Amino acid sequence: MTEIRSRVLLAGLTALLAGFALVNMVVDRRALAQGGRELSWWSGLALDVAVPIQKFVAMPFELARGGWSDYVALIDVRRENTDLRAKLAETEDENLQLREALLASGRLDRIAEMREEYDVPMVRAELVGLDASTWFRSVLLDRGRNHGIHAGMPLISDMGLVGLVTATSRNAAKGMLLLDRQSAVSAVVQRSRDRGVVRGTGDGLVFEFVGREADVAPGDVLLTSGLGGVFPKGLRIGVVSSVEDASAQLEREATVDPVVDFGRLEQVFVMLRRSTTMDLLYATEGGDQPDPEDGAKSASSASNAKNAKKGGS
Amino acid sequence: MKRIAAILALVFGVPMVEGALAPFLPAAFRPDLALLVVFALSLSWRDPATGLVLAAVCGFVVDLFSGALLGQNALLSVLAFVASRALSVQVSMIGALSQMIFAAGLTAVHAIGIVGLTALFTPGADFTMLRLAVLAPRVGVNAITAPAVIWLVSGLVAWVVGEELSRRTLRIATSRSWVP
Repeated sequence: MTEIRSRVLLAGLTALLAGFALVNMVVDRRALAQGGRELSWWSGLALDVAVPIQKFVAMPFELARGGWSDYVALIDVRRENTDLRAKLAETEDENLQLREALLASGRLDRIAEMREEYDVPMVRAELVGLDASTWFRSVLLDRGRNHGIHAGMPLISDMGLVGLVTATSRNAAKGMLLLDRQSAVSAVVQRSRDRGVVRGTGDGLVFEFVGREADVAPGDVLLTSGLGGVFPKGLRIGVVSSVEDASAQLEREATVDPVVDFGRLEQVFVMLRRSTTMDLLYATEGGDQPDPEDGAKSASSASNAKNAKKGGS
Repeated sequence: MKRIAAILALVFGVPMVEGALAPFLPAAFRPDLALLVVFALSLSWRDPATGLVLAAVCGFVVDLFSGALLGQNALLSVLAFVASRALSVQVSMIGALSQMIFAAGLTAVHAIGIVGLTALFTPGADFTMLRLAVLAPRVGVNAITAPAVIWLVSGLVAWVVGEELSRRTLRIATSRSWVP
């Protein structure tokens, strides 16, 4: 009799815990669909406590990695420095030409007027830990609501788009990387302006687009399209490495190499708001059309200029 | 009190440590320590009700430090605990080989669970994780690591319970001395 009672109690407890977990999942999913959530006090507290602990645990590994990268791996630095100086000279020259192109298309004045809008306030945050589960790709950041960070804000690095803040506590935040299987970003091919969706596969990215006539080729740079309003327009996502056969089906896929090296990511910038200038730079719809003759050239130049600016910032 | 602190440190600390060490190990070759701890608790923890709650807490902590929905790993941890407990009654889990085989199976089923729940709640999510090339290394790593984790966790549980027993004995001895 006692054994039956304890079994019934155990079954009841299992059902209770499973039900509680399911309810939490539904609530969490709803919150994520609305752009993220601010964690409850107990989960926020756990996250806040975890940040210093994770920093402490990772410290010896960081020291070992730092020792390697700061001393042992600097053997080729002189040659690399020479190469970089040459590249910088090339970029400055290219930048000058692009400014001329912008001036000719009449956009530089508008950009100058909106200069303050371009200075998007950002908060630098350090990555203190990666996903505790091996199936998802998220990061734990050492900045939270006290630093102005809220769920739904984009995460970027000097190379391009990193991901999105999905949850915040007072002094920590959780971000979903582009590589995560739940991640989907509306993207546009910089060269042909074809649109599609970049999805994470856990280890890489794929670009899903519609139409056999779509002009997507290896080497094409993918940018955020700005659709959906989550990410600003024009952030670099990745470079197309291969495109699947066009005759296969209507919906096609391209494999994308992310511009951000997620394996070496140590810090990110959280964009505290969108910049309208980013939209102006890519104004292909609406009233900001350039002259038809040099339209394609201008759009391409503007895209390059944006990326040149981003790379330099 | 020590018992509670030690076990809470285990279920809270393991996901934290795993998250901190993640940047230094590729995901495919990183053991799922939280899942293995739940498996180990199911074998070594005597009271199933408390063990079930601990498994759920461990799952919730993983959810907190991962991109999963809050509750996703908690639900799977509860189910993993129940499954391992039920099977350990039928099959001997004393040997390392049986532990490795069961850990491998548990990892595969856990992956299917993650995929299923993600598909249910996030339409359009990518499910290449069920490809053999993605699943196989994780299953292998978890199987290899399982006996060591079980040994450590069962040792911790035995130490905690043993310490409690010795304190109780001491108290009884003290009270006896007061008996005239």
